[in-house]
Amino acid sequence: MKKIIFFVAVMGISSSFAQNINDTIPEDSRYVNSAQRLLSQNQGITLGAYGEITYNQPESDNGELDIQRMVVLLGYNFNNKVQFISEIEFEHVEEVFVEQAFINYSVADNVSLRGGLMLVPMGIVNEYHEPTTFNGTERPAIDGNIVPTTWREIGVGVSGRIPAVSLGYQAYIFNGFKSTVSDNEGGAIGLLKGSNGLRGGRQKGIQSTVDSPTLSTKLDYYGLPGLRIGLAGYFGKTQAEDEIESLEGSTIGISMIGLDARYRYKKFSARGSFIYASLDDTKAYNDLTGKDLGSALRGYYVEAAYNLLATSAKQKLVAFTRYENYDTHDKTDGIPSNDAYNRTDITTGLSYHIAPGVVVKGDYQFRDNKTEDGNVKNRLNFGIGVWF
Amino acid sequence: MIKYFLIFSILIINSSFSIPAGIVKKADKVIAKFYDVENFKKEVIRIPQEINELTKSEFGDENFFKITSENTFLGYGYIGSGRSKAATFDYLVLFDSELVITKSKVLVYREEYGGEISSKRWLKQFDGKSTKSDELRYNEDIIPISGATISVRAMTQSMNDLLKSLALIEQKNIL
Repeated sequence: MKKIIFFVAVMGISSSFAQNINDTIPEDSRYVNSAQRLLSQNQGITLGAYGEITYNQPESDNGELDIQRMVVLLGYNFNNKVQFISEIEFEHVEEVFVEQAFINYSVADNVSLRGGLMLVPMGIVNEYHEPTTFNGTERPAIDGNIVPTTWREIGVGVSGRIPAVSLGYQAYIFNGFKSTVSDNEGGAIGLLKGSNGLRGGRQKGIQSTVDSPTLSTKLDYYGLPGLRIGLAGYFGKTQAEDEIESLEGSTIGISMIGLDARYRYKKFSARGSFIYASLDDTKAYNDLTGKDLGSALRGYYVEAAYNLLATSAKQKLVAFTRYENYDTHDKTDGIPSNDAYNRTDITTGLSYHIAPGVVVKGDYQFRDNKTEDGNVKNRLNFGIGVWF
Repeated sequence: MIKYFLIFSILIINSSFSIPAGIVKKADKVIAKFYDVENFKKEVIRIPQEINELTKSEFGDENFFKITSENTFLGYGYIGSGRSKAATFDYLVLFDSELVITKSKVLVYREEYGGEISSKRWLKQFDGKSTKSDELRYNEDIIPISGATISVRAMTQSMNDLLKSLALIEQKNIL
């Protein structure tokens, strides 16, 4: 509880700073004449991409160079009201995933129905994950270990805005995480574990098992100048195949809430996110699978950033520091809490935006955990990111 | 034959330049509500082609007009189109008789992200700006919205273009 109060306090203080966002519009494309408008408006193909190439160098350990991801955005406007949006991802060059693939149907001004593979709105980075939109070579660790970014499932829902009160809303029924698979010997193999919580249970729309629906909602308020606040909730049970569904502990219940804020005032920016997930029936799940899943996951981060160049300059050089704390064993049921899962990362570095849509990043991460020797290797990271 | 085809195509292109009925209807609703009148007339202001070519904003769509009600001049209206990341959005700007902005409204927004620019409160920032105002600078004069940067920049740019274009039109004594 103390930590929550601390978080709220820090958020309050940091609201005098501001949020980091990025500029990704080609200079020329702002100008369209009527003819171009006829050609581009309301129908046709949208093509875009984003990608990240990273270098991680932990202290006294092997470094790694990686094309973390290269994502192709492909969309089509069938008419004024119906769009298809997709993102096809090549992860580490060799793995192919579909990150999003859904139909958007505008049923009224500011209200759309959606169906397909969509992002679960929780925190900031799961929805806004393009490399030019966040500081740091690596995404915040809570947007990986607590919110399993990129978290997406197949579902249907509604997305809309109420301009009169500057409020955005989203509500979806999604397929959920898969917690167990049959070991074909009457038992079950667990997919969720203590070190990264729900991450292993993402089905990503790959021949996913469906059993019970989950509810995901988010409200975004952007009526105060420079500030944007989000409140998200995700509720439901995990999925299990019929043959093991009756085993006690084959599924667990999830209630996750997320609060996030982004603020920006001229050269200052700040952002923060707090996520808490309460998991039910983890004792039975751990007994069944031999895993060490915690019964509560918790994490937060706060980040302050300052653009060192003039606001009128075409480029931006952003210095930032992010403090993160997260614990995938915030609570446990029937198993000892593992202090190695209670992590603190302090990341500080620079994001150099050479042009809107192109960023070069460099940062250093001081990493620690609650164990006595606190042995997590610090690391140096560099990255190149693009989005167009 | 080619000639006929050419004439035919030009006709099609020309006729498609006027604003879709749905957009006009939405604009009319906003106008009626803003001036609190049930009946009003829109009188299209025709900008000569050679001047339309000089302005960054488009005036060839019958999209700039005088608004009157019972012979009282209420103000000017402009319906324009801006470009967000992957689609266009349509907006209406109302001006008083001195070309000072009194109201702006996003009529249709078509993209997955960035629709926050429809926020009534955010759009209020443009009220009071006129052809005599300095260029509006993103992140200096116009407050950004997290998660909607591209659209915020696009709307700011559209407004700058419009005010500059109207300044030129004023200068040429067309109004």
